Amino acid sequence: MNGSKVLVLAAAMSVSSTAFSAGTHGGSHGASSGEPGNASEASRTVNVEMFDNYYEPEEIDVEPGETVRFVVENKGNLVHEFNIGTPGMHEAHQDEMKMMVEHGVIQGGKLNRAMMEMDMGDGHSMKHDDPNSVLLEPGESKEIVWKFTEQSSIEFACNVPGHYQAGMYGDVNFTRGLAEQ
Amino acid sequence: MKTPMVAGLLGLLMPALGMAGEYNLTVDRVMIDTGDFVKEGIGYNGASPGPVLRFKEGETVTINVTNNLDEMTSIHWHGLILPFQQDGVPGISFPGIQPGETFTYEFPVQQAGTYWFHSHSGFQEPDGAYGAIVIEPEKREPFRYNREYVVQLTDKHPHSGDRIMRNLKMMPDYYNRQQQTVGEFFSDSSEHGFMDTLKDRMAWGDMRMMKADVEDVQGFTGLINGKGPEQNWTGIFEPGERIRLRFINSSAMTYFDIRIPGLEMTVVQADGNNVQPVTVDEFRIGVAETYDVIVRPRDEKAYTIFAESMGRSGYARATLAPEEGMEAEVPEMREASRLTMADMGGMHGMDHGDMDHGDMDMGEPDDMAGMDHSSMEGMDHSAMAMGDSSDPFYAAGSGLMPVAANGGKFLSYADLKAQDPLYELREPTREIELRLTGNMERYSWSINGVKYEDADPIRLKYGERVRFKFVNETMMTHPMHLHGMWSILDVGAGQWNPIKHTVSVQPGTTVYMETEVDEPGQWAFHCHLSYHAAAGMFRKVIVEGGPDSTKANQDIAANAGGDA
Repeated sequence: MNGSKVLVLAAAMSVSSTAFSAGTHGGSHGASSGEPGNASEASRTVNVEMFDNYYEPEEIDVEPGETVRFVVENKGNLVHEFNIGTPGMHEAHQDEMKMMVEHGVIQGGKLNRAMMEMDMGDGHSMKHDDPNSVLLEPGESKEIVWKFTEQSSIEFACNVPGHYQAGMYGDVNFTRGLAEQ
Repeated sequence: MKTPMVAGLLGLLMPALGMAGEYNLTVDRVMIDTGDFVKEGIGYNGASPGPVLRFKEGETVTINVTNNLDEMTSIHWHGLILPFQQDGVPGISFPGIQPGETFTYEFPVQQAGTYWFHSHSGFQEPDGAYGAIVIEPEKREPFRYNREYVVQLTDKHPHSGDRIMRNLKMMPDYYNRQQQTVGEFFSDSSEHGFMDTLKDRMAWGDMRMMKADVEDVQGFTGLINGKGPEQNWTGIFEPGERIRLRFINSSAMTYFDIRIPGLEMTVVQADGNNVQPVTVDEFRIGVAETYDVIVRPRDEKAYTIFAESMGRSGYARATLAPEEGMEAEVPEMREASRLTMADMGGMHGMDHGDMDHGDMDMGEPDDMAGMDHSSMEGMDHSAMAMGDSSDPFYAAGSGLMPVAANGGKFLSYADLKAQDPLYELREPTREIELRLTGNMERYSWSINGVKYEDADPIRLKYGERVRFKFVNETMMTHPMHLHGMWSILDVGAGQWNPIKHTVSVQPGTTVYMETEVDEPGQWAFHCHLSYHAAAGMFRKVIVEGGPDSTKANQDIAANAGGDA
């Protein structure tokens, strides 16, 4: 390890913390993608299975204002994400996920949770604890309760580098909303 | 005249027949028009390249190959796992297909992905005898796309393969147009000092090599799906669609650096096997390799697929566009890369003690973006690695080190990780060292210093896992292709190491691959540069034993004969 490498790493860290603090995350910008919902208001449960590298199902129908409970299970051999957002939000999040891979937080089928908790020097971390997404190791299962407040262009997507580009995304179709227009 | 017509009709019906599993190919004399020149060559079903054969994983295919030439022919199914008698190498798998004869191949399709086929006789492949194979998987693909295209490259030369080989044998630098001149010697002398320049040139002379040997057959026109740069093969898309491009390098001799300015490419498959997706700006495709990428053009405009040869002596060009006839800018070729002293790091008989780095020609400035050569004295090789722009599969400081045109990500072998590993990881049972050797001034190429005709076969035992150590002692890149069994390329990823059929070994480097010896019989193992293979960089591999070991040996005995 020489001096210049340390410098590069430090620079990368500060870039990433900027990206995190910039707040491209769903929860705080719910206007277009919805907001965290109450489990008691959930109209139904949708089971989503994650494989290498695709979802089953690959699309879901919702009604504007509907709250859905998602039970997401990673049935693949690689780390995958289930993230509800607009295409633009996913694109922004992909830069953060790239950083996580470059720093060794995501390694194929392993998540380095200790490193995710690590303070990056300014109170930020790579925790990945936004309410619109879960990041799962193979075999793990988690829940998200999400309220689709209004009709908009929403996808669920895995933003692990390369996965979204290769087609690991699904469409959220607003049914009644379309009929009313 | 009747046969090609019938074959053509069958070809048209093929998609409709679906799982019929029977295919007909005729081997024909054809005319090849590159836009730069028109040349007689060899093709399949009346055209070069031949048709795209679409198989389905799990089916058994029957392929009737009719030889309409006045010479022997053969078809090798490159990258396919099949019984060795079906592998199509005259003298190793079968006697070949005589003029007028129809030979029927039959084998089960046990894999999915992008592959290709070509003649394994003489120089029929450089003369045009190649085509693509697309195998649809039994299960769903682990990725999604709206449409797909085969993008098959070649380096079409105005000379026939036989003539090229004759010329190379007579004068190895016959097709090398980028040799350094006396003028360059003096300009280098004024830049680097007379003694240093002289020393550098003498070192190259000792190696019987010339600095510009990145490509020893120049003067070709790059073709994509049979179209030259001016003929501009075009793939249509609708903005927002994901397009799968199946790149196949069917060149005789040429590596290509491929990019689509304005688009990132997500690599999802290499040599027919799915890899963990990796998004890049550019990639280098070795001779005989395949890479599948997914691109997503969002704008209603044309994009250029630009494939520069590694030595920058030529290029292929195609277009992705919302409608036929649209074009995008075609970039200028970058300046030619030149080999450096680093590329001869593995050269036999070199006196490393004499190499002090201050004297080294560290490559052309364009490859070492923004580096100040005057400050390079005393730099060590690890510092030369220069972060993102270095690739561990090239010698540090190599003149061939790939750099993306836009400064972005260039694919490395180190990025290739199996999506779903085929084999369990286990310790190899033994290691076999293969030194890639040659004498450029005699245009002789060999393995461990011995040409094919003088060499004993490599004997493997069914059930073992062999670790091959390639040590490239030449100044050229060699795409090593083992038939019949997968090459597990050691990229340092353990169980995630990718499997390939062709492994590029760069000058001055050592590359390891492992093979699970799981197919009985005898197989070809060679450099896929056509004229290197023909000059002797070739081996026969015999797998002894098998699931039912006596039968395999009988088959070998029955199939001897013919020429390779």
